[in-house]
Amino acid sequence: MAETIEKKVVKKPSEPLLSKRRKKFVIDPLSDDNPITIQVLGICSALAVTTQLKPTLVMALSVTFVMIFSSLFISLLRNLIPTRVRIIVQLAIIASLVSLVNEVLHAYAFDVYKQLSVFVGLIITNCIVMGRLEAFAMGNKPYDSMLDAFGSAMGYSWIIIAVAFFRELLGSGKLFGFAVFDTIGWSTFPTNGLMVSPVGAFIILGLIIWVQRAKMGYVEQH
Amino acid sequence: MELINIGIKSIFIENMIFAYFLGMCSYLAVSKKVSTAFGLGLAVIFVLLFTVPVNWLLDEYVLKEGALAKWMPAALGDFTEINLSFLQFIMFIATIAAMVQLVEMVIEKFSPALYGSLGIFLPLIAVNCAILGSSLFMAQRDYSLAEATVFGFGSGIGWFLAIIAISAFREKLKYSNVPDGLKGLGITMLITGLMGIAFMSFMGISI
Amino acid sequence: MQRSNTYIIIFSLVLTIILGGLLSLASVGLRPAQKIAEELSAKRQILSAVMEVDPNANVLPIFDERISSVVIDSEGNLIESDEKGNPVDAANVDLEKQFKLAPEERMFPVFMFHEEGDPENITAYIFAFYGNGLWDNIWGYVALETDMNTIAGAVFDHAGETPGLGARITEQQIEDRYKGKNIFNDQGELVSVDMLKSENNPPNALDEHNINGLSGATITAKGVNKMLENYFRYYLPYIEKIKGKDKKIARSLN
Repeated sequence: MAETIEKKVVKKPSEPLLSKRRKKFVIDPLSDDNPITIQVLGICSALAVTTQLKPTLVMALSVTFVMIFSSLFISLLRNLIPTRVRIIVQLAIIASLVSLVNEVLHAYAFDVYKQLSVFVGLIITNCIVMGRLEAFAMGNKPYDSMLDAFGSAMGYSWIIIAVAFFRELLGSGKLFGFAVFDTIGWSTFPTNGLMVSPVGAFIILGLIIWVQRAKMGYVEQH
Repeated sequence: MELINIGIKSIFIENMIFAYFLGMCSYLAVSKKVSTAFGLGLAVIFVLLFTVPVNWLLDEYVLKEGALAKWMPAALGDFTEINLSFLQFIMFIATIAAMVQLVEMVIEKFSPALYGSLGIFLPLIAVNCAILGSSLFMAQRDYSLAEATVFGFGSGIGWFLAIIAISAFREKLKYSNVPDGLKGLGITMLITGLMGIAFMSFMGISI
Repeated sequence: MQRSNTYIIIFSLVLTIILGGLLSLASVGLRPAQKIAEELSAKRQILSAVMEVDPNANVLPIFDERISSVVIDSEGNLIESDEKGNPVDAANVDLEKQFKLAPEERMFPVFMFHEEGDPENITAYIFAFYGNGLWDNIWGYVALETDMNTIAGAVFDHAGETPGLGARITEQQIEDRYKGKNIFNDQGELVSVDMLKSENNPPNALDEHNINGLSGATITAKGVNKMLENYFRYYLPYIEKIKGKDKKIARSLN
């Protein structure tokens, strides 16, 4: 993904490629302003695929791709899009990108495509994508918007990968389909069926949120 | 019988929230008070009840392979080979956005109070994963029109039940002593997990 | 930015045409690759009932060399063409569509695994299966040795069983439990092979017609049992025919 960004660099001598301001776009969503744990966005479609690491990784990559390019296009078109139909324009662009991802997965990663089934389509309604378009890409330059999208996508990705890591490890004793506990000779490891069921995702995510918020001292006001 | 089965399955067993995590955004954001949750839940049921059958018609008569051949006059050419399913996502989301707009106008006209309290969350129904999710599931599972309608309605009711339950919990939670980091999102997630365990006991029921 | 209605309409039209055009291009361009991916995945699954298949290998040449196929009905008669008169190919039979028909109207694909390039020298018959799991449909392929009794191998797949519980039917270790089991009892009656309720049955509880089940996924296991029993019944006339043929050959040899 980093290569794609560099290609689109707008030459601007006054500001370095990764100035402090721009670094903030990428770093902030990783922890301080994480889209999932702090902003409470985009939990929808992602958790259902986190039973195993492999589909989760593909999902994270797909979301990153869709976010970066939808931000780029929306930002390029931001002065042309009529305000009254902007939501539907955003949806149309996201939906096209997602369809593209879906077609490519269908052709070149059929196994994962079958596993993810409808959840690729549900990237369209992932609130993070829409949220960043509305909040950032509609009012900022293309390169900045892409950085911002990249940051949010990474913030989202590491959370779902962390959830998937624990769910696959504790639920089926594997990582990327590799039987970890069998290999280290602990073949009687009691796998927890609850971890692979939806319940496991809620609980793991709840705990990750707790740890993260406790670490940074963020308290939600009622 | 099959219809009742699909209804029960979509409400309890394959609950949009507890089994598929769909519609989590608004589920978490609008569940602080029972009254708003109630309104949003109704709106979701309403939108689902209409979008799923409408999307079924779209899928059956426009998008599927050979769908156009069912009604296009043969004189215009051979449509049996045409497969427009790559447009499925765009068409579904467009229908949903249009239906949401319609619901918004209806609510604004008949219940300004509800409109006021739902505020910015109404347009968000368009990006509620539960709506798009049901349409995609419906298409993937090859339901008939009647089955699709029941499925849409059932999914809506399931979602409605889930958000009412969690908002009732959260109203009570205000008076309990939750650790700082867990306040809000964290504790809601854990409670949802526990509710999911309760809903798991419906597993395997069929008529 | 407030714009006139004309601008909005033109903007929407242009956007729709561009996006639609790009998507159509992508879809048309990728369709051949998608077809191949689907075909590969299906054929890989059929082959894995009788042999170890590397998930990344191109199995198409192996499939062409070592598999021949027929399509039969529930009476065991060969079906040459569908109702429209098009020739049928076992590899293209849509099992899900057939499953929705009454058993008498279904088409059943049977694949013969033979020595390389020698269709006469069959080593196993692979039968296709389809049924209901806990959440959604399950299907699979079971291979019988030429005695039409011993299971040579099995492979299962599912649309939406619980990961880690029912979804385990796709695991090699569980599929291997079927190997060597018999579908007919000593009296020659069809009894199929059943998964028992628990995972840790004492060895003396297991005989040649049952295997250890899936703990925590009894309903999926029951679905597999029912699927196997139903479909073996549909295949029974054909199985009897093949057996009869073998007997005739055996008699003529004596």
